[in-house]
Amino acid sequence: MVESLVYGFTLGAILYLFSIGLSLTFGTMKIINFAHGMAYTLGVYFFITFLRVFPGTFCISTLLAVLCMIPVAYIVERFVIRRLYGESLDYAIIATYAVLLIGTDFIKFVWGNVPQQVRDPVGLSVSISDFMIPVYRLIIIAVAVILFAGLNILLRTTMTGKIVVAALEDADGVRCLGVNVNKHFSIVFIFGTLLAVLGGILYAPISAADPYMWLSILLISFAVVIVGGMGNLNGTFVSAFVLGITMAITGRFWSQAADTVVFVVMAIVLIFRRRVA
Amino acid sequence: MDILRALGFRTYGKKALPVYKEICVLTVFFLVLTPIIHMYRITDFMIFCIYVMSFDLLYGYLGLLSFGHVLYLGAGVYISVLFSIYINSNPLLSLLAGTLGGGIVAATLGLIVVKLDGASFALVNLAFSQIGYFLVTSTFQRLTHGTDGISSRVEAWGFLNFSDEYITFSFILISMLLVFYFLRKLTSSPFGVLIRSIKENETRVTFLGYNTFLYKWITFLVAGTIASFAGGIYTLYVQYVSPTVLNPLDNIDPILAVLIGGAGNLYGAIAGGLLFMMMKDWLSSHFAVWQWVLGIMLLIISFWFRHGFTGFVMAIRNYQRKKAVTYDQDGAQG
Repeated sequence: MVESLVYGFTLGAILYLFSIGLSLTFGTMKIINFAHGMAYTLGVYFFITFLRVFPGTFCISTLLAVLCMIPVAYIVERFVIRRLYGESLDYAIIATYAVLLIGTDFIKFVWGNVPQQVRDPVGLSVSISDFMIPVYRLIIIAVAVILFAGLNILLRTTMTGKIVVAALEDADGVRCLGVNVNKHFSIVFIFGTLLAVLGGILYAPISAADPYMWLSILLISFAVVIVGGMGNLNGTFVSAFVLGITMAITGRFWSQAADTVVFVVMAIVLIFRRRVA
Repeated sequence: MDILRALGFRTYGKKALPVYKEICVLTVFFLVLTPIIHMYRITDFMIFCIYVMSFDLLYGYLGLLSFGHVLYLGAGVYISVLFSIYINSNPLLSLLAGTLGGGIVAATLGLIVVKLDGASFALVNLAFSQIGYFLVTSTFQRLTHGTDGISSRVEAWGFLNFSDEYITFSFILISMLLVFYFLRKLTSSPFGVLIRSIKENETRVTFLGYNTFLYKWITFLVAGTIASFAGGIYTLYVQYVSPTVLNPLDNIDPILAVLIGGAGNLYGAIAGGLLFMMMKDWLSSHFAVWQWVLGIMLLIISFWFRHGFTGFVMAIRNYQRKKAVTYDQDGAQG
């Protein structure tokens, strides 16, 4: 049971890192960003490549992969999302899906279809009352909690953070105050993408990398964002961990149903909640 | 009561071509197309066209973008297959069972999804389609044989022998024309006007005293039922199904087809369905990795080509008409 709980918290941490960007784009621009899945997968493949070039340097490869994703995220934001934002939300959603399709095929073309494994960089385990817990999972949980705290501080202290918090409430209102919202949205978008890339890299040693690895996490994170409330960052944090633990405990008894139980929870929440968006 | 009145199939406008003429044109078009492309491909295309038309009702007319329409196609497929194996091997009964079963699924899920809009509507549908895929591949594995797939046990009934290419072709052509007729009538009725008004501005329709939830739910139900009907026909046609019909990644197909053809227009749905399938056939037989072409097309459509193929044709026609009008004016002045 302890194992499942730790696994649940680990999953929750990864889900949180992935969902935060989705939740921010949802909350500020009201767009579902399918391209988030593309960034996640592409980041992991960059990381694997860097790890092969510089063997044994987990942290440096992570940093390089995250840096490499900055221009990619900027291009997607500048040339796809901003172009369609404010014109038609449906087309913005479809266009981000198009980016996802192109990205997936790019990955298949460059790295092939075969799943790639990444070794656990720490490799140590601690024992808590007869259970062996890999230290690496505890590190992932710690990273998510630190980032949650850091993000909250950033949102309260920096100008961009304050504008984003205001825009989550009412983006048009902020625009009416004469703030160039697009610039700040762009920063937030790139930041959210980088967090997703980080989440993907941290998750890679637990799972494996393949070109369609975005599908399941994207769907589950959408559920996380809907359960937590769109654009509600603290809600996203709580719902990521709650759903992660739900998945881990379900997976312990019935492994195939782990993904589906998340959508069942989401459906129940939707039935009992009057307003969603 | 106002639903009954709204459903009272009255058509607005006198200019429109009578529906029977449109149906004749479509029949001739498909019959001419058949010798050009193989008959079995055209049969496939027509099933896809039914499916795309049902999606067009939801997206083009009501304005709800669903990323999970494949669920209702798959529900129709699996319910009709299981019906043919365990209950009755009559083809029409299994088609009916698939259609009604899919309709019941749409009616139930519709109660949850229809109150959402925009982004959440798209996502929740996608999540349900993922659940459907999971149910078929894992939970009901004993019934559906998981990823191995199952063969249906539909037998010939009277002259309706679905092993015969020509009978299958005619049956599916007639089904497609019936669906077209039904949707044509539905969308030009007061009900159709109402759902298009909901697309334009739902708040105002609510202020007029209509229960928009009900209308959206009915539209969702109709769209789901027709998609299941397409699924049921697909079972009759291929007689073997595997969970690939429910693959959540295929949810983009009807969206792209509707966008290529032009949303909010049944001709657009048919043209888009045909163009999409032809393109997919061609691409998948020439390239190993071809989805990126779809991606680039989607980008082009969403940037510059929003009204699709039919919109393009209409624009050319309008342009010519405008030119004709200006010439007339010039003539009058001169």
